Amino acid sequence: MGIFNSINTSASALTAQRLRMDTVSSNLANAETTRATINENGEYEPYRRKMVVFQPKDASFNSFLQRARAGSSSVGNGVRVKEIVEDDEPFKLVYNPNHPDANEEGYVQLPNVDPLQEMVDLMSATRSYEANVTALNATKGMLLKALEIGK
Amino acid sequence: MSLFGNTITSLERSIDYASVKNQTISNNIANVDTPNYKAKSVVFSEVLDEQINKQFIAKRTHPKHIPFSSSAEQHSFQIVSNNNTTYSNNGNNVDIDKEMTELAKNQIYYESLVDRLNGKFSSLQTVIKGGR
Repeated sequence: MGIFNSINTSASALTAQRLRMDTVSSNLANAETTRATINENGEYEPYRRKMVVFQPKDASFNSFLQRARAGSSSVGNGVRVKEIVEDDEPFKLVYNPNHPDANEEGYVQLPNVDPLQEMVDLMSATRSYEANVTALNATKGMLLKALEIGK
Repeated sequence: MSLFGNTITSLERSIDYASVKNQTISNNIANVDTPNYKAKSVVFSEVLDEQINKQFIAKRTHPKHIPFSSSAEQHSFQIVSNNNTTYSNNGNNVDIDKEMTELAKNQIYYESLVDRLNGKFSSLQTVIKGGR
């Protein structure tokens, strides 16, 4: 066990939460984007809401095997972002015949981004980020205190 | 009689425990949004082990016999995860309030241990300097 393991753990979480905030920002920024990708029919598709999937850092097969062989339980060393997934929810249909991307019936497909949901997600990410900063500061304080042993 | 005695050893082990515990708490807080993550905790089984092992003073008639008392095993903390509860919708059971209070407690505990260690060293120093 290294000295900085706890700090690295908190740092991994800070990175992960920051990526989550970036994803939220991207979702909010593209809340009205109707031309994000081109599908196989050669038509524009609106932006799809993106979500971050977290996973504990020691959840790989290799680490499970090592733990089973050593017969020990591990403390764990943080969190990692497994993937960024897209939300399958159907796009919002809004009647707006004057829009350049409106279909024959006059409906426009808008991204499946719900700003309210994004704001809640953003707040949750901020709180988690703050909690991890607190944990990081606590660890830092303890390490600095440990340097005083024997002084 | 050894110079440092038992106090330093037990302080050392406690400080070791506190640092493992800090790591566990950090990890729990790091995984507060991870689906299906279960909170881990450190079990200080060492004290218990010591108390149990004290009872067994067995005679070994052959050097290859397995000793009854485990000789000063470092890191005999057990990290257990609590798989029985579910705190939030995504299968995660990290109670952030509990983790934050545990973090604060553990920090104070650690600092008091360092303080005690320093007290111990300074009294040894007083003895070495002959009270001057």
